[in-house]
Amino acid sequence: MKIAFTTKGIDWDSKMDPRFGRTEFILVYDVEKEDFTHVDNRSIADQAHGAGPKTAQLLFDLKPDVLITGNGPGGNAATVLEKANLKIYIGAGDMTVKAAYEAYKNGNLKEG
Amino acid sequence: MKEIVIISGKGGTGKTSLTASFAMLAGQTAVIADCDVDAADMHLLLKPERIFEEDFYSGVAAVIDQDKCIQCGKCQEICRFNAIDNSTGQYLVSNLNCEGCGYCGHICPVGAIEMIEQNVGKCYISKTKADNKMVHAGLKIGADNSGKLVAKVKHEAKASAEKDGKEYIIVDGSPGIGCPVVSSLSGADFVVFVTEPTVSGIHDLERVYQLVKKFQIPSGCIINKADLNEKVSKDIEKFLADNEIIHLTNLPYDESFTTAMTKGQTIVEDKTSPITASIEQCWQDLKIILEK
Repeated sequence: MKIAFTTKGIDWDSKMDPRFGRTEFILVYDVEKEDFTHVDNRSIADQAHGAGPKTAQLLFDLKPDVLITGNGPGGNAATVLEKANLKIYIGAGDMTVKAAYEAYKNGNLKEG
Repeated sequence: MKEIVIISGKGGTGKTSLTASFAMLAGQTAVIADCDVDAADMHLLLKPERIFEEDFYSGVAAVIDQDKCIQCGKCQEICRFNAIDNSTGQYLVSNLNCEGCGYCGHICPVGAIEMIEQNVGKCYISKTKADNKMVHAGLKIGADNSGKLVAKVKHEAKASAEKDGKEYIIVDGSPGIGCPVVSSLSGADFVVFVTEPTVSGIHDLERVYQLVKKFQIPSGCIINKADLNEKVSKDIEKFLADNEIIHLTNLPYDESFTTAMTKGQTIVEDKTSPITASIEQCWQDLKIILEK
């Protein structure tokens, strides 16, 4: 199973980015392989318009099973993600990646 | 640190006046961000002194390298925005018309067209008369607000609030439901809707609420000028109850609102105004809600 996080850095101790579309990085944790990969999203965050759907497209290609983020994705991004068949958990905007993962495992995050 | 975003959907509801009032009441505990960049006018009430400014770049426009151009005119033929003119004998791009789509660059047979990032205005960090830092921006003529510019203003506000250990970021949100308002809402802890009892007031409230609902951000609502149309006010109250939006307060229509504005003051500076106490109470209530 692969879990995607919206983050401000590239390791466990990084802070989560509460934003979806303009998140700085997307971290993908492969639970079985215990392996981290990341995508630098800052070029999308730098777009004048339409950051949400572009990040959603990126996520669509990464094919994670779960997305953990801060707020729920906004209008256009949500429409794309509906087709991506992934579970969204929100409310992790103030946490570190590690704390967000623990909160998810313990069922403490709200489903988006 | 909590980020509060104040939005209205519709213009003229009193959003900026109330945001500036909250900024006065919050004083040193908050950093203020004016994300209503198209019509940034909170500075008229908060009188900020600029501490720092930098150029802001957003979007692109086509530029034709005259040394490479072979005058084939293909770019002019395909431009849907009539942004390319050759009345002077040279093919030139009008920045006001160019939408930055890049089509001309793709079809140019000699690669003479480059898309260049546009300097659209400035971003400022200032100190207001309420002794709080304020991040705001000024756009050049013809430039428009964008999600990117709003994200920049919010990013600077957040960095400043984190550095100085502030409790709140108070954001004057962008109007409408497009990219800038999506960017205003992104990352917020609480949304305050400011509405008024008119047909367009309730319509635009419902519309922008749909967006906030997708973000799943908790929200509250101030009905300004509530006594002007009691029936529509009741309709709004019902809408709030049906959608679990906290009804923060009703403010009556009062001339002191406009008087303060024309003096370049926030309403809460007028201690004789009958609505000052209500706004002060509303700010106290908001602080309690945010602690939960």
